[in-house]
Amino acid sequence: MGRRLSPDDLGSRLRARFGDDVEVLDVFGDAVATVPVDRYHDAVRFCRDEPEFGCDFCDFTGGVDLGDDGFEVVTQLFSTTNKHSVRLKVRLPRDEPSIPTVSDLFPTCDWHERELMEMFGIAIEGHPRPVKLLLSEPFEGHPLRKDFALMSREAKPWPGAVEGEEDEDE
Amino acid sequence: MGVITEKTPLPKVKPVKFILNWGRRYSLWVFNFGLACCSIEFISASAAKNDFIRLGVIPFAHGPRQADLLLVAGTVTDKMAPVINRLYEQMPEPKYVISFGSCSNCGGPYWDSYAVTKGVDQIIPCDVYVPGCPPRPEALLQGIITLQEKIKNEDIQEKFRSGTSAVS
Repeated sequence: MGRRLSPDDLGSRLRARFGDDVEVLDVFGDAVATVPVDRYHDAVRFCRDEPEFGCDFCDFTGGVDLGDDGFEVVTQLFSTTNKHSVRLKVRLPRDEPSIPTVSDLFPTCDWHERELMEMFGIAIEGHPRPVKLLLSEPFEGHPLRKDFALMSREAKPWPGAVEGEEDEDE
Repeated sequence: MGVITEKTPLPKVKPVKFILNWGRRYSLWVFNFGLACCSIEFISASAAKNDFIRLGVIPFAHGPRQADLLLVAGTVTDKMAPVINRLYEQMPEPKYVISFGSCSNCGGPYWDSYAVTKGVDQIIPCDVYVPGCPPRPEALLQGIITLQEKIKNEDIQEKFRSGTSAVS
């Protein structure tokens, strides 16, 4: 049974292990670590196996489309014994984004990564079953990308105000 | 009702047609295809207060092969569409479909979605559409009465000839 570590303590331990590769922020009490893609698998394994971290539960793996800045993969880890969270973020380029699988460490990531594949078009290296999860098999495109065109909206634009564009009219 | 086929010799005598349709419309074995919140309204319509069983929608079929009436309640996605089609094909003739709620009527609030089928009638023929988001249980009662009116005036041989289904 370990103890709960503050984001600063988690950050200093991550920096001690990964050096300048890792950048840690305190976001509302959670440690948010940005790691390069080649250290991502090591970082997840470190958070799981290091006794002081003890992150034995993976909340989710998700994606963010950052537009011209590429994509971001977010993995939230939680320790059920120490009650602290670590959020790992990986920046990926817009062209041919690719990230190694962590489903060998956390089997729950299997489906999350399949969703990541179909929704953002991010390739998952070493995934045991890289097929679509939620979309039908003949579906083309990656619907959670910002540049994905909704054909219904092409035919008939959104009738109300669009979020973010309301201020321009005023 | 699966024992009636298009080859069943039914004389064109009015009382026979009346009694047959009278029996058919008050014994609609319903198969609930609940996909979203509309399914809750369907359950409410079946429970004590509204009680569509008193209209003869009785009992709940154990599967599509026992059902006369398919009630699609909720959002039909492209992923689920082949399943609905398959279950509909398994139902014996003559069969009826009620589309319950905006989503299964036309896509409803998901009109611009990449994953939602814009209306279950793109896959299977529908007899009655119940509008609403979700419709109240009373709306479903009205939908069932509307369907019963349709069955009352129906020529069963004509129903087979019109070929609402690929399976005969």
